[in-house]
Amino acid sequence: MTKLPMTRLLAGCVLLTSIAAQGAEGIPEYHDPLADLTIDTEGSNYQFERSSLEALKVHDPIEGFNRRVYRFNGQFDDYVYLPVVNAYETVTPRFVRRGVSNVFANLADVPNLANSLAQGKFQKGGRTTARLLFNSTLGVLGLFDVAKAMGLPQESEDFGQTLGFYGVPTGPYLVLPLLGPSTLRDATGKAVDWSIEDAAAFLDNRHYMNDNPWAYGLYAINLRYINGFRYGSLDSPFEYDQIRYLYIKLRELQIQQ
Amino acid sequence: MNRYLHYLYVSLLALAGSLAHADDSSYPVTNPFLATIVGTPPQLAAPVPPETEVRQTDLAVTVLPERHLPPALSRYHDLHYRLAWHNEPAPLIFLIAGTGSGYSSPRLDYLKRVFWQAGMHVIILSSPTNHDFIAAASRSGLPGLGLSDARDLHTAMSMAVEHARDKKNLQITEYRLAGFSLGALNAAFVAHLDQSLRQFNFTRTLLLNPPVDLYASIRRLDALARTQLDGVSSGDSFYEHIFQKLARYFAESGGTDIEGGLFYGIQSSDSALTDAEMAMLIGAVFRFAAADLNFMADLVTEGGRYAPAGEKLKVSTSLTPYLRRALFCDFSCYLETQLWPVWNNANDGKSIDDMAWDTSLYSIAGFLRDNPNIAALTNADDFILTADNYRFITETFGERALLYPHGGHGGNLQHRDVVATMLHFMEGDAQ
Repeated sequence: MTKLPMTRLLAGCVLLTSIAAQGAEGIPEYHDPLADLTIDTEGSNYQFERSSLEALKVHDPIEGFNRRVYRFNGQFDDYVYLPVVNAYETVTPRFVRRGVSNVFANLADVPNLANSLAQGKFQKGGRTTARLLFNSTLGVLGLFDVAKAMGLPQESEDFGQTLGFYGVPTGPYLVLPLLGPSTLRDATGKAVDWSIEDAAAFLDNRHYMNDNPWAYGLYAINLRYINGFRYGSLDSPFEYDQIRYLYIKLRELQIQQ
Repeated sequence: MNRYLHYLYVSLLALAGSLAHADDSSYPVTNPFLATIVGTPPQLAAPVPPETEVRQTDLAVTVLPERHLPPALSRYHDLHYRLAWHNEPAPLIFLIAGTGSGYSSPRLDYLKRVFWQAGMHVIILSSPTNHDFIAAASRSGLPGLGLSDARDLHTAMSMAVEHARDKKNLQITEYRLAGFSLGALNAAFVAHLDQSLRQFNFTRTLLLNPPVDLYASIRRLDALARTQLDGVSSGDSFYEHIFQKLARYFAESGGTDIEGGLFYGIQSSDSALTDAEMAMLIGAVFRFAAADLNFMADLVTEGGRYAPAGEKLKVSTSLTPYLRRALFCDFSCYLETQLWPVWNNANDGKSIDDMAWDTSLYSIAGFLRDNPNIAALTNADDFILTADNYRFITETFGERALLYPHGGHGGNLQHRDVVATMLHFMEGDAQ
């Protein structure tokens, strides 16, 4: 096991460049990163405490209910949703899963487009239109995400963002059964998006899905499959509080841009 | 003779490698704070199989059947651990997570894939300071002491291994051990303890970015959260300031992807975070870990500092007020308010410096120096180390000190040269 340090030493001796970066005997010289910072030794600045307390102020009037739903979602994930998703991962080849994700993402482009246009984001709207066209004509029903391969990333715009764009406040924080963190505004937006998808009946998808109810099951599995979030992943007894803040901030970011 | 040839061969190989890539293959991030946050650029990382291809599962074992937890925290009653295994006989390596990290942390998942791919069974355990371990496996409920944490870990490891053997028919040829950060200090103490107990007889123990004097490292982490920032007035929120920078970056770049590669993009833009901001961000993450630790230790020992003693925490109970209080107590505050009083009672006439010494690598220096099967890997710019701590590592481990000039606190652990060094130590000929 002494081999490696020896080789490193040898390499260090031969290479002038590495000798320059290293101190005596090939040992890299200590550098104290804290030396370059200004540290408040008195601890009287309270920057961290003030900011963190501020972040905990989220309008959450039905917190008790939300926390129950949050726990339910976590357990549903553990016992039902994720085992199904894992089975889905095991039994279906990757290209099929990607195809399924792409089909549903393609359908979601309709509300994306509507919301881009409603917010006056014409350039973005233009890109979404192009995506829709490329994917629907070139890719068979969007089964292969041609647009992504062409460098047009999916522009996710939902009605919750549109409402936010026009200054509608978030309203109280909500944890939706199965769907997870949301706010009153975003939950309303979600309902509107689904009705846009419904009304547009793009490629007659609703008709098809109603005739084949398993498609809704696949929709639900895909919804979980493409969402990387796992309950418990923040690894803290205060996960609920942290997710609540992060959700609100990430939505703000999406709306601002 | 064979061995000598092997040396020569490896040396020449390494030499050829370093000559060929003298400039582009070494770890490129020279800022220790940035390195700690962004890790290794994907093109320089050692390739590992995707998670879905690893034969693995999460299991749970009851370590302390008598422990009672309120409904809000009942899911921490059993100790959860992650197991990746092979169907053939293989060495088993335990991985111990660092401060405030659990068995599912991404850093350890990467290391898991490295060692699994190299043919080892892997068991990942949460840090003894993590809330789940405190609840499920810490007998005292007060982690932060070298020996008592090692005893808790040793018990948890024995139970996990029996449990895993039972569930998955593991065939284990030998035991190895590795830990990251505080988990590395834990690993050193567990190896030391096992030398007396003779249960696992670890053939290799690898300390990745260990602290040397835990309490000195704790003070340095606490200091990070008190970094003075330019451009943030005393009334502003630090997080708002960071989010504004993100928003500005998104507005300018037109990007929408709030995930992979984000940080590299920002750091090369006008909205790049300053050193002070990155230090503060790292410090804040550790302060939240300290809040978890303070809250959970107090709850298990029924101290009543945060959640009132005797209060039944239901699933619907808001924990936010307790978090608000716990956020004021950093690691040093935990030592002073919770750990020291209890230790002092049991160790009459000793000082807090004695307590610090007992939980430092100094206290087991002889064991570390003379044991050819223990190595330490760290960086010259790891901010948890003082100059003295760093010198201790170089002097104590000698040739088994695997040192790199850059990488901050663990930022270079995915780099292919570093991974090769780790595996080389783990799989090298026994001494």
